[in-house]
Amino acid sequence: MNSSRFMRCVLTATIASLGAIAPASGADAPQTPNIVGFRVAPLGPVLDFDPFPSTSEYQFLRADDPAGPFAPVTGTVSTDFSWQGPVVQGDQGFYRLGAKTLSPDQLAAANLLSRVGYGPSPDETDLVGQLGIGPYLDRQINAEGIDEDLDVAPPFVGSWQKVTATGPGSASLIYIYLDGQGDVYVDDMRLVAGATDNGSQPNLLKNGGFESALGTDWIASPNLAGSALTTAEVKAGAASLHVVSSEAGSTKDSSIYQTITPALSSAKTYTLTYWYHTTDNSTHLTVRLSGSGIVTTESASGMLPHPGRLAPKLAAAQSYLADLRAWHLLRALQSKRQLNEVLRQFLENHFVTQYSKSNDYLDNIGYTSNLSQQIATQMEFLENRRWATALLDPAVTFHDLLQISATSPAMILYLDTVNSHGEKKGDGTYNVANENYARELSELFCFGVDNGYDQGDIVQLSRAWTGWSTDLLAPGKENNPFATRSTVYLDPNAVTNKTALTNRVGTWSLRYIASHHDPRPKYIFHQKDAAGLPIAGSPKVVPARFGQPWAGRPYGLAITSSGNGTNTISEGNRVLAHMADQPFTEEFIVVKLCRLFIHDDFQTGYDFTDADTSPEEDLVKAAMLAWENPPGGGPKGQLRPVLRVILGSDLFRSTLSTQQKVKTPLEFAVSAIRALRTPKGDGTFTSDTDGYSLQPVMSRAGLMLLFNRAEPNGYPETGPSWISAGTLAERLRFAQAALMAPGDRPGGELDATTFTDPVALLRVRQPSAISNAGAAADYFLGLLFHTEGEANLAGLRALAVRYLDTADDGVTASLYSSLSPGTKAHDTRVRGLVSFLLCSQRFQEQ
Amino acid sequence: MNSPQILTRRSFLNHASILGLGTAVASLTDIPFIMQRALADGTIGRPGANGRVKKLLFVFLRGANDGLNAVIPYGDAAYSTANRPSLYIPPDAGLDWKATGDAYTAPSGANTGTFKTAGGQNLGGLALGNGFAALHPSLKFLAPVYNAGELALVHRVGYPSQSRSHFDSQNYWETGAPRDGSVKDGFLYRAMVESGLANSNALTGVSLQSSLPLVLRGSKAAMTNLSDTSRYNLLGVPNTAAGNGKADLFLRQSNALRFADRKNRDLLELQYNNLSKTLEIFAGLDFNEPIADAENTDGDRPYTLFPTSNATNGGYAANNDPSKYVVPTGSYDFFTQLKAAAIVLNKTDAIVAGTQIDGFDTHSDQGGATGTQSNLLRRIGWSVYALQKYFKQNADKCRWEDVVVVTLSEFGRTTVENDTNGTDHAEANVMFVAGGGIKGHVKGQRSGVFGCGTADPIAWQTGQTGSMFGTEGRYLRRTYDYRSVLGKLMRGHLGADDAQLARIIPGYAKANQMLKSGGIQSDDGVRIAGEPDLV
Repeated sequence: MNSSRFMRCVLTATIASLGAIAPASGADAPQTPNIVGFRVAPLGPVLDFDPFPSTSEYQFLRADDPAGPFAPVTGTVSTDFSWQGPVVQGDQGFYRLGAKTLSPDQLAAANLLSRVGYGPSPDETDLVGQLGIGPYLDRQINAEGIDEDLDVAPPFVGSWQKVTATGPGSASLIYIYLDGQGDVYVDDMRLVAGATDNGSQPNLLKNGGFESALGTDWIASPNLAGSALTTAEVKAGAASLHVVSSEAGSTKDSSIYQTITPALSSAKTYTLTYWYHTTDNSTHLTVRLSGSGIVTTESASGMLPHPGRLAPKLAAAQSYLADLRAWHLLRALQSKRQLNEVLRQFLENHFVTQYSKSNDYLDNIGYTSNLSQQIATQMEFLENRRWATALLDPAVTFHDLLQISATSPAMILYLDTVNSHGEKKGDGTYNVANENYARELSELFCFGVDNGYDQGDIVQLSRAWTGWSTDLLAPGKENNPFATRSTVYLDPNAVTNKTALTNRVGTWSLRYIASHHDPRPKYIFHQKDAAGLPIAGSPKVVPARFGQPWAGRPYGLAITSSGNGTNTISEGNRVLAHMADQPFTEEFIVVKLCRLFIHDDFQTGYDFTDADTSPEEDLVKAAMLAWENPPGGGPKGQLRPVLRVILGSDLFRSTLSTQQKVKTPLEFAVSAIRALRTPKGDGTFTSDTDGYSLQPVMSRAGLMLLFNRAEPNGYPETGPSWISAGTLAERLRFAQAALMAPGDRPGGELDATTFTDPVALLRVRQPSAISNAGAAADYFLGLLFHTEGEANLAGLRALAVRYLDTADDGVTASLYSSLSPGTKAHDTRVRGLVSFLLCSQRFQEQ
Repeated sequence: MNSPQILTRRSFLNHASILGLGTAVASLTDIPFIMQRALADGTIGRPGANGRVKKLLFVFLRGANDGLNAVIPYGDAAYSTANRPSLYIPPDAGLDWKATGDAYTAPSGANTGTFKTAGGQNLGGLALGNGFAALHPSLKFLAPVYNAGELALVHRVGYPSQSRSHFDSQNYWETGAPRDGSVKDGFLYRAMVESGLANSNALTGVSLQSSLPLVLRGSKAAMTNLSDTSRYNLLGVPNTAAGNGKADLFLRQSNALRFADRKNRDLLELQYNNLSKTLEIFAGLDFNEPIADAENTDGDRPYTLFPTSNATNGGYAANNDPSKYVVPTGSYDFFTQLKAAAIVLNKTDAIVAGTQIDGFDTHSDQGGATGTQSNLLRRIGWSVYALQKYFKQNADKCRWEDVVVVTLSEFGRTTVENDTNGTDHAEANVMFVAGGGIKGHVKGQRSGVFGCGTADPIAWQTGQTGSMFGTEGRYLRRTYDYRSVLGKLMRGHLGADDAQLARIIPGYAKANQMLKSGGIQSDDGVRIAGEPDLV
């Protein structure tokens, strides 16, 4: 065929039979698949194109005439987005390429799972499907309607577990011990000759059923002296052994042991079986032969990780920073109120404070090292718990959240208001107030950088803040900023006396020191004279760019008299109330929320009067209007109406949101565990973490130190700030270690308390994929990367299937369907596949 | 114009041509990384005619080094046993600190006995030949670098209204902006952003320590910290040779897949490919292999350049002789990191690498010729010597003339010893600056000592009311602003142009800071000398 004889013309269009065409943003957003090449090959026309976002199917149509009608033609699409059409006899033809995209509801569902929460999990995905987009979002916003109390640990329910181990008879002594203080029940212990115990061999142990007193058969060393027969928990017979340990055992002198007679032979194989009952007070149980011919070590704790186990101690200043981080991570992982968890992290990061600074302060005033760490941790915890509580209030406002931050001891210490003095000195001049808090209140917490304030305003603001300090207040006084320092509990001369403070009664709280206050009038957000001093009576006005209803409003705050003594605390409160609902704050906070929920490219400084506005700008304005005039009435600044505008927007329901952001290390680590997590039916999950073992990767992959950021601007949300070759190496290592069975991990890599079991997940959710490579690939791709669209996942799917169907070298054919479920080889193959998917570029996105 | 949209590589090019780049972008990091290098000014990270890139290696001396006992001002009688009873170090008997014209001359022979004085003991200050200053004896290994004209010692370095808080002052050194809370990121981070390569090179700024220091932190690009170079490889599932190979194979194949445009996808694709490339490079690097000096040290035998064990520490191994350690045994972690920093600069595209030494906060029992500070200084002396030899002997992508080694430390220490045989927080301090391109000592022509000699632009005032008591009657007064020293290196070595320099070190944009040419800094009325003539 000589192509020059024929004219072939290609038109493009997007066909959206599953839903509307994704709304475009600006002239450059792609409207239709981009065709990059067309040629006539001997086998027919070849059309090369760029993948189109969230496309489930590409359609190829042909017509004899450009006016149509166009009819679908068959052909094959390669994974590199090249379509090979059939040979068309005759002359010219006209081709059209279309894309069936996911519907706005499907895209919104994906965003709800990955932005309004810490990534999709099998169950949360189902829930969005069952409820529908609107009701699911309502449920998340009205989070108090979700029945959950993560501050209370579920009651402990223990269970009997069986252990079997086989090995040589290395010695004729058997030991039972724990690796610390705790207790556990053991029953029906048998040691038999041979590699299996069929139940009929004689038990080589005396009183292995623990039906009679320990006597001389079993000897309890002093650290296990509290151990005894019990009928409280029994597996078989009438009694079991209650092992009670006061400290760790390791050998004969620190165990419950029995000398086995007749002696075992080191040349023969024996099998040990026993049952143990978990408790909420257990460490690890070891039963072994001397010489370790047979060793079993089991985690005898029946407790699943739960933030409620950590909260009471955190509240009582009995925990450390790692405990607080574990609490935070466990809530992110487990909470059904996912939106509130995302928002709490947003608040913690927006109103940033630094644990180390609090700790240094407490250490310097004389606390013991442990206690200063515990109280500094408690400060962060109490602040976060206040936010968590506030977020459950349907009418919560930004001002409420700001007030929590401003009165938090952690903030008072972090930005130096604790020792800020403004009172008159002996020489008639005034102390110069510390400007740190005033600056960040303007730049980072409310208005945004260079948005409506200047250095002179910071000076004026800083004076209003003088006197806001923190101190230890007695129980019951923690909400009274005028309470006197609790000298009952805190030696005021501790530093001089070098007496270590060891008392944790009372709570560090806001304490107002009126004598430090600068009583002069303050003209905040006022015009300045030539010397840079504010001009009374000349408030600044909101710039024209804001348009109505804001433009031209005076927003100066003149504090001319606030009374004397403790009344002057009102100045700081007036500043907060004033700044919380200025248009600068509305704009800055709305922009930050849009960056969190939509994409990174929102900014302050829009000209809202511009006739040519973008969807981004329109959304910011709409959300600001909801802030200014909540549709349901009530005070300005309510969070929920603002969230409804953003999360209900067309942008949120479009490909302009989905997968447009990079996960922070926190989101990356939590989303990996969530993605593979579903209940197994026995009370445990197919993936889990204790929250502690996730912390190293957050540090290594870019130094995301929760509650301890040094800089006051919080951790960034943008991709370039987190993604480099070095940080990716740590992310990938984490994904690989997390998918290894804990026992297979290299030393020091990831603690066993974080684990995943993708085969167990398949058994629960997709049994058909246990031995079917295509089904397994489809299940995991659907779970993780659904929003790419099926047609765009063809390449990754082919790789996934090949991964399952090749041996460990990645080359030799080894069919997945021929691996026996339950074997190590099968388990490793599935783990490898999921590790491969979590290591892919797409899993870094949300 | 409209609000920002998804700027893909393609659409950006359209944008740029329509709107003109000047209005389309606010800063380099606001534009796609693919264009950043092309649009960057200056020559940071750009290969010179020889094909090589200028690089920088920093070492932060945390806790504040006592500069007066490191580069000792013998020319000032206030450096005395009266002011420093237990700290005072007498001039070495074999060398005349008053001699001028030459740096002190070592006995002949390559390194043989170079720095040993009579009797083999280094108990006294080692004259620097400018008639005024001398080195702490524990810094003796700086001497060959100094004598080669490749070391500058910049004394009396500080900044206006000096903070005496470790926390604040370290922050100011690292942000490059003293007492300016609006600057929240690190100056070397900003230098990397200005290179235009921060989001496209696999490695630009790299730290080798427990975590990324502020000097390399910022919100628009991720610098790299390698707490342990052995972690810079991937695992497989199973974690066997075959399994690792399979993981690597499939990662590469998935990296080649095409997906629809999204924000960050160009970035991810590029950095994944960079990861693969650097993994290959790192796989070929042996961070553990000892690197030997090519010549004898101290008349003994060739020592290992980066001591990371007793066996590789000086001449110890031959006879298990602890007197032949070149550095304290507690410094192996530091030398492991320093070695990795040197290897990273030499073997990769990284432009900046660095690490730190802790423990300089010597409030008590600081020691004189020996003791706590002495042990810390031994690390510095041997470090600079080892780096010089490494980049001369083992140069690959980076030769000694391509690199500058610079130390940072938050402030100096009190002129007068305290009552616990130590020193407290003070003001001006000394910086060590070394490199094949550094304009140091030239025999008979110029001194490599800046700010501690007889020919300084701002003279060292001697006596009990002189420079050593020039600030608040207690502290060594500054003559150089640390930003002038760093600014000189940013412009003269790394290749920042003036506009970039004003962004990297914001003080350059403020006339009253006098950073380039010197003058009176209006913040506190102190006259400074401007940039020292280092490069």
